[in-house]
Amino acid sequence: MKARLEKFFNAKTFCVVGASTTPNKPGNVVAYNFVNFFPGKTYLVNPKGGELYNNKLYKSVLEIDDSIDAACIIVPARYAPLALQECGKKGIKNIIVTTGGFSEIGDEGIKLQQQMLDIMKEFEITVIGPNCLGLYSPALGYDTMFLPDSKLKRPTNGPVSIFTQSGAFGAAFIDQLSRLGSGKWVSKFISYGNASDINETDSLEYVGQDPDTKMIIIYLEDFKNGREFMQKAREISLKKPIMGIKANRTETGAKAGASHTAALSANDVIVDDLLNDAGIIRVITWDQLEDCVLVFGTQPLPLGNNVAIVTDGGGAGVMASDMVSDCGLTLAKFSAEVQKKLDDTFPSFYSTGNPIDITGSATAEDYRIALESVYDDPNVDSIVNICIPVIPDLDIEEYIKITKELAKRKEKPFVTALVGGEEADYATAELLKDDLPAFESPGRAVRALGMLTEYTKYLQKHSVDPKSIKMED
Amino acid sequence: MSGIKEILTIIQSEQRKAVLEHEAKMILRKMGIIVPPSTLVKTKEEAIEAAAKFGYPVVMKLMSVEVIHKTDYDAVVLNLRSEEEVKSTFDDFMNRFSSVDVAGVLVEKMVGKGLELIIGTNTDPTFGPVILFGVGGVMVEAIKDVVFRLCPTTQPQALQAIEEIKARVLLDGFRGTPKVNKEELSNLIVKLSELAWEYKEYIAEMDINPIIANEDGLFPVDARIILK
Repeated sequence: MKARLEKFFNAKTFCVVGASTTPNKPGNVVAYNFVNFFPGKTYLVNPKGGELYNNKLYKSVLEIDDSIDAACIIVPARYAPLALQECGKKGIKNIIVTTGGFSEIGDEGIKLQQQMLDIMKEFEITVIGPNCLGLYSPALGYDTMFLPDSKLKRPTNGPVSIFTQSGAFGAAFIDQLSRLGSGKWVSKFISYGNASDINETDSLEYVGQDPDTKMIIIYLEDFKNGREFMQKAREISLKKPIMGIKANRTETGAKAGASHTAALSANDVIVDDLLNDAGIIRVITWDQLEDCVLVFGTQPLPLGNNVAIVTDGGGAGVMASDMVSDCGLTLAKFSAEVQKKLDDTFPSFYSTGNPIDITGSATAEDYRIALESVYDDPNVDSIVNICIPVIPDLDIEEYIKITKELAKRKEKPFVTALVGGEEADYATAELLKDDLPAFESPGRAVRALGMLTEYTKYLQKHSVDPKSIKMED
Repeated sequence: MSGIKEILTIIQSEQRKAVLEHEAKMILRKMGIIVPPSTLVKTKEEAIEAAAKFGYPVVMKLMSVEVIHKTDYDAVVLNLRSEEEVKSTFDDFMNRFSSVDVAGVLVEKMVGKGLELIIGTNTDPTFGPVILFGVGGVMVEAIKDVVFRLCPTTQPQALQAIEEIKARVLLDGFRGTPKVNKEELSNLIVKLSELAWEYKEYIAEMDINPIIANEDGLFPVDARIILK
């Protein structure tokens, strides 16, 4: 069976119902997006008629002499049922309703949403929304996000698909990704709002089978179809990583029941165990999501648990080691050959164990030797490159060059933590420009590796080779 | 699995939500789960006969729809070692519970000490039937060392769930305690998850607690099922 969202994304004719001539109004922005970027045919509807962006404004969808594959309704909530009904009569089966003012506002809105549901049923319409941003796909020129590009910057085409219950979360995250590195991140974005029809499980099903989606990020507050969601996720997570936030963690505690089991059945405890069983990497904070995009989107999965740390500061190395243990990772024991090389090369006051501490005397060349040695050590599965650039003999340009070369080899995950002020910020920005994972603290860098390794372990438990997971075809 | 639906239908027709322990164990047996040998008796003579058949020590439990939390009413007496003790316990039950509706007394072969585990099921408003596995006994709600899965679960899933509790080292033999047969334990989890799934129209909650794991195997010694 084809995923229901496919018909939306595959549309060849699209209609914007509520196209507005007032600049920056939602109906104006969506009309602009489709007229300018959608490769198929766009029709605009506004009861006043006239023209917009050199396109005719039809007074009603019923006046359009063409079949319409999908539409977006952007009219005030009270007019939405009528607009939906006209679309139904026109035979449009796939409709995004971005407008808010439905079940999320209480009784009156619930009534309106029920009216919409009745019309959907009558005309067999699939609806995304209401109260959502709808869909965005840069590669398909598909963009119902009604906030203008001057406010909400769009990331360009890449491996990540996102689906979200919260439109505001979606808008913020999309905006963030636009300025993360090259901004080339997004394949499909789905904001389904009140989930009157299309929900988290439909979204997962679609991005799961979409060949352009290489990793999946989710934001959920509750489940409409939790059982099927978990079952689908179990299959999909063996082919592409799924990660994200299930917020509303304190929503419902366990209901006092007659059994111990009922008493222990707190909603979030069950959610946590089921996400884990389904192979979904659960993160708690917003910053972790961006870190997920950076490491999963740019680095290969580690093949094991063994981390090498290179640092010029003892404290940073100790903190990174603590985080290694917190994340269930282990510090690699270097092979005899690599250990000998490190011992022979470095002065005796450098610490050549793991973490390798090349101290405040470190030069860029020291970094090169230490990092290349551990990168090539078969006992090392992933590398943390920590630099506090305040030290006198470190040529930061040279350090950046060495780091870039290694991070681009992509044989093993390689993350960098740059701790400090202006120069650290500069080096971080330089690495990010090339979409290489760079973080402002050792803990955050190790935690990102921890998430990658967690996924490797899940795959290995299910006899899937982590090398089979790729961000590029 | 024939007969389970009939048992559940009868209990429902009596307007009962609580399945009595002897009924719950009958259901478990029908699922192919091995429980300690037990018989529901109505008279002292039957009690003595059952105890002699199983061999001492035995356990006696009062079965009544009015006494669900049996330990709160001292309606469970462990480690009875002689005919005399069986007789006096039976008399004591009949005296103390003369005013309640008694279905009988369950005489059961006593299971030796061991590690106490729990397997339970519940009907989650979001996910439907879910199964729990963890450290059991009376402290289960305080310790909260449990893991959930969707029902029905598979053996590989159950085996992984077993490895997810914090106290998993206890299962591998800890300071002289016997190793728990994880294959058998995962089978038990799968069967109970199938029970909760197959009969989801009837079963709301279930506690198999404790399941005693000792050198002789795994023994569900108490079973509580709550119907919808």
